[in-house]
Amino acid sequence: MNFWFGLLIGLKEIGAHKFRSFLTMLGIILGVASLLAMFALTEGIAQGMRERLAASGGVERVEVTYKDPSEEMQDLAFLSPGRTLADVNALRKGAPLVDLVSPQMDMVNVAISRSNKTLRLNVSGVCPEFLDIGKFELEAGRMICQADLDNVSRVVVIGAGVADELWPDNPEYIPLGEVIRINGIPYRIVGMFGFAESDYSKRKREAGISAAQEERRMRRGGKKKVKATKYDPYWQKNHAVVIPISALFFDFRTAANADASANRKIDRLSLRISDLSLFEETLYQVRSVLTRTHRGIDDFGFETREEWFDSIESSVRATRLSGSFIAGISLLVGGIGITNIMLASITERIREIGVRRAIGARQRDIFTQIVVESGVIGFIGGLLGLAAATGMIQLLILISPTENAPIITFPAVMISFGFAVGIGVLSGLYPAWKASTLDPIEALRYG
Amino acid sequence: MPLVELYDIRKTYRVGDQEIAALDGVTLSIEAGEFLAIIGPSGSGKSTLMHLLGCLDTPTSGRLVIDGVDISRASNDALSAMRNSKIGFVFQSFNLLPKFDVLRNVELPMVYAGVAAKVRRERAMEAIERVGLMNRLHNTPLQLSGGQCQRVAIARAIVNNPKIVFADEPTGNLDSHTGEAILTLFRELAASGRTIVIVTHDNTIAARLPRRIEMRDGRIRLGVEAQVSNTAPLAPIAKEGA
Ligand SMILES: Nc1ncnc2c1ncn2[C@@H]1O[C@H](COP(=O)(O)OP(=O)(O)O)[C@@H](O)[C@H]1O
Ligand SMILES: [Mg+2]
Repeated sequence: MNFWFGLLIGLKEIGAHKFRSFLTMLGIILGVASLLAMFALTEGIAQGMRERLAASGGVERVEVTYKDPSEEMQDLAFLSPGRTLADVNALRKGAPLVDLVSPQMDMVNVAISRSNKTLRLNVSGVCPEFLDIGKFELEAGRMICQADLDNVSRVVVIGAGVADELWPDNPEYIPLGEVIRINGIPYRIVGMFGFAESDYSKRKREAGISAAQEERRMRRGGKKKVKATKYDPYWQKNHAVVIPISALFFDFRTAANADASANRKIDRLSLRISDLSLFEETLYQVRSVLTRTHRGIDDFGFETREEWFDSIESSVRATRLSGSFIAGISLLVGGIGITNIMLASITERIREIGVRRAIGARQRDIFTQIVVESGVIGFIGGLLGLAAATGMIQLLILISPTENAPIITFPAVMISFGFAVGIGVLSGLYPAWKASTLDPIEALRYG
Repeated sequence: MPLVELYDIRKTYRVGDQEIAALDGVTLSIEAGEFLAIIGPSGSGKSTLMHLLGCLDTPTSGRLVIDGVDISRASNDALSAMRNSKIGFVFQSFNLLPKFDVLRNVELPMVYAGVAAKVRRERAMEAIERVGLMNRLHNTPLQLSGGQCQRVAIARAIVNNPKIVFADEPTGNLDSHTGEAILTLFRELAASGRTIVIVTHDNTIAARLPRRIEMRDGRIRLGVEAQVSNTAPLAPIAKEGA
């Protein structure tokens, strides 16, 4: 007896008991559906995170962060000036492997106002490098330039979201040359960043149906300020307000610590590495430069995107693992259901098995027949499960819209489907063994 | 060399702590081309003997050789192969697959023999023609009479062209007229040279066969041939067994 014959018998048997077979498959269907849905969701999240990572500077971006100096240096910690503009200059001169150096001073919850409208946003004092390192794009005007720094010009570049909210009645308005007040001090808008969004919403928008665009339109269309209910990972980026770092220092930092302008403390220090293959060497170079400017105190550390990237991957893995576990339980229950039904089905067919044995079926022919049959249940259950998964994903999107559209990948489909068939086959093993070891005479006498 | 040889075959069943000797030392040989009747009262071990001959079971002790193959030591797969290609078995209760039509029922042994679908069909048709059921090809057993079912079973038994056909009370579930027709069919098969062993309760049927063996309490009664016709009353119809 060959495989195809077994398949034929299996299909017939399933066709003869459609409803029962469907009930049997249900566990497998749900298991596969949840497995695939889970894969798709985590893949969507991972993809979204990767996109955002790339948008925020990619793996070539490294943050120099403050850290507590080590034990033995604790007493000397006062010697170090911390992260200052001096670091920036030293790095530009002494670390050729570093491509860009971008210092940043931050103010949180600052009043940004225009006529009678006031927003509360964060304001950053930056250098021109901020644009490239942060992967911002200019939609109009220009970026803060060196001359602005030198002249301490009161100029500002804003994110598209800020423009939207300050000029809600005038969609598409690009407010170049307009003056806004930052904590009461007038700044002239010289540039506007482009609207940042995920590839997903970009694709959707380009296809003509954009939630983000609609939302933007609504916001711009003068309706009440729409508080985005869902988490928008690009919100920060679209609500950037940046001014020359020197202007921030002189306008908003008290003159108390303005003793030496080179010692201005900065809140963020970002670097871009020119050659990723020299990642470690670059960090080494940076470390040696900074050790000098920090007078040997190791009060700084690195936050690499690689770590972030790894943490994304590992959290995705963790989600995937727990999701697989739950889906696995569902599949297991489905498998037990199949075993149960197959046992009932062979009990019903003991005589048939006896007849087949009597006319020359070998034990392994009977075995194959039963395993193929349960495998077919798994196979069909798997197919229905894949269909159900797509439905389930649509439902999830409907219930909780997310920027991270679930992504169904080919390996995920193959794994989920393979599991279904595998469980189907596995669940058939015991019934098949029972059926194939039946004594022909006993079987013929049965019932 | 005889086609079938049995030497001191025993088959014991254990039921609880009781041992039942269904066959208690049977020695017998069957030559190719014979048409043999096995008679005897219910419970005398006829079916047990047929099951051993039909390779459906193995003896507790003794030697059984069919067509040169030592059945008493054959593997499970070897027994399957014997049942499939060298032996045809006809049961009292037909044992057809109720979900399959006549054609597929008859084709089934060839499926396990690995015969190609086209050849299978041709040979199944031949066998069905032989038993006179060409007009019933696509009926299922439930749509057939008992006699027709038994014809299908016979077609199935001969379709792989076996050396020997065993029939355990093939007329037991049929009325006498239909039984007669089935017997005629066996007689035709025997006439065309096939070896046939048939178990029957019907003395008049047995009396017409060339060789008879009578069983009693798991043994063969010696010198039966002359005695068969005037042996003490044989149960006319026994429902148990098969
Ligand atoms: N599976 C079994 N377990 C126990 N005893 C059995 C079994 N099969 C047959 N027997 C016993 O063996 C004896 C012979 O039975 P059987 O061969 O069916 O007789 P017959 O076919 O001549 O009526 C009977 O006593 C029967 O009860
Ligand atoms: Mg019997």
